[in-house]
Amino acid sequence: MIDNGLLVQMLIGALLGVSVYLPLAAGQLSLATPAFYAVGGTLAALLSTTWPALGAGADGSFPLASFLLELLLGGLLAGALALLVGRLVLRLQGIYLAIATIALVEIVRVAILNLPFTGGAIGIFGIPQPFPTAAGYLLPALGLLALAGWVCQRLEVMPLGRAMAAIRNDELAARCMGIDTTRVKLTAFVLSAVLAGSTGALAAHFLNTWNARQGSFDTAVTMLAFVILGGSRSWLGPVLGGLLLTALPELLRPVGDVRLVLFGLVILLGPSVFPQGLITPGLLERLGRLGERAEREPQT
Amino acid sequence: MIETLLQTLLNGAASGGVYALVALGYTLVFSVLGVINFALGALFSLGGYLTYLLMGGAISANGGLPGWGLPFGLPFPLPLLVLITSLGAGLVLVNLLQMLMGAEGYAFPATALAGLPDAVVLGGARIRSVQVLLLAVCAAAVIALTLWLERSRSGRALKAVAEDATTARLLGINSDAMLRLAFLLSGALAGLGGGLIGVSISLPGPYVGIGYGLKGLAVLVLGGLGSVPGAIAGGLLMGLAEALVPGEASGWRDALAFAILFAVLLLRPTGLLGRRLVEKV
Repeated sequence: MIDNGLLVQMLIGALLGVSVYLPLAAGQLSLATPAFYAVGGTLAALLSTTWPALGAGADGSFPLASFLLELLLGGLLAGALALLVGRLVLRLQGIYLAIATIALVEIVRVAILNLPFTGGAIGIFGIPQPFPTAAGYLLPALGLLALAGWVCQRLEVMPLGRAMAAIRNDELAARCMGIDTTRVKLTAFVLSAVLAGSTGALAAHFLNTWNARQGSFDTAVTMLAFVILGGSRSWLGPVLGGLLLTALPELLRPVGDVRLVLFGLVILLGPSVFPQGLITPGLLERLGRLGERAEREPQT
Repeated sequence: MIETLLQTLLNGAASGGVYALVALGYTLVFSVLGVINFALGALFSLGGYLTYLLMGGAISANGGLPGWGLPFGLPFPLPLLVLITSLGAGLVLVNLLQMLMGAEGYAFPATALAGLPDAVVLGGARIRSVQVLLLAVCAAAVIALTLWLERSRSGRALKAVAEDATTARLLGINSDAMLRLAFLLSGALAGLGGGLIGVSISLPGPYVGIGYGLKGLAVLVLGGLGSVPGAIAGGLLMGLAEALVPGEASGWRDALAFAILFAVLLLRPTGLLGRRLVEKV
């Protein structure tokens, strides 16, 4: 039921969930992830199909080094864009920020749809493949997720992560404590964009075709649902949410047309059943205590 | 030249009127609950389809139906959860529509206007009567809503809840009932918009409302969150601005609303007619 292709999609979902989680960990509700995802994907699609120096083969093959370079470039371009946009939009708070980032997503979507070199409504297709099968993508996707998880885990003990948590709890108080809130929020925003950009580059190769629909308002909604249903207090929440909610519509395929309605119902009812998400702070605490006990036991 | 301009302006005002309806729908809920009801775009689609299905040959306000029976007013402590829930509700609605009606578009029958001429020629400008009708219905809805809010007991009660829910409750106003009423009216406005767009253009599919929902969001910010006159002025302004985009750049027209939104958010976050919110400590 779950084949390698779906597994890669689930990992991509988890990566995007973490990307939405990062600004949220600093208390900023940003829905800009699809815009950066689209930017990264478009860059990878354009480079690999039009720049011969990257070494795309006539048989649709693609060197691994060029693929990794694209992941890097996709992340960097998205990060640069986030740096530029973030300075402007992060002055906004709450719902204003959410609306501004939705506007960004729509502007990027219309731009990709109308720019002369991005293939219009059809998009770019025949993107060369660095791996012969879907299974090949598992490793880079897992690697990216491990890297993102490691960064998030490190953040919890780093001054930056602490500052993010402080802003989330009370921005004004954080500012009074001498935290440069603008800088911290911008860093979280850029980190989120870099992750989304790299994920986009990976997804473009994996999907083989790329168009403006990849980053739309709908995607933003789904990604936010990853975080809310998974739990927004730890990076494990969006990972779990991304994995489950990406798999759900596919697993529901046997029920036919009702599946998307059911998927909507999960998003509709999820918050009332799990107001804190699946991975709650209480659960994390219990897991943490289990971990401590496991560490102590060998010595006794 | 002047004829084309007149035509363009009328087109702009007509779509602007619909934007204003959607923005008013957001405004009603936002002013009492402080959240954005993201299901509004889906309700817009639903209104269009209901109007199509119930159309008995004459324009009716059947689009107003979807406000009823919505599972809203659920007590959620966190605005973020309300946001997700409303998005989920929208997703369910749109996919239900797709399941029941299919993804194909629907054009309204020619008898939709019940004997009205298709277009009138006014001083050389060809004016589609449906546009005039659309503008008239929007204007009527907006005027009725404003009068109700300003003059009637229940309208004033709604405004009181928007001002301060706790005080309103202390004064004997049933805040929860007002909240449900706001949701209902909000859905009705969006549904009406969907019906009007369906009659004047056609329904290209269940996702028709999503685009209008997003534009309505842009208008909401343009006019100022929670401001009724702002939503109306913002809607008209947005419609006119879009209509003035030259034909060669029509692909970029959809980005205009969001570019304006972006600019407004950065230059004047309170919107054109919004109130300045002072952060309380």
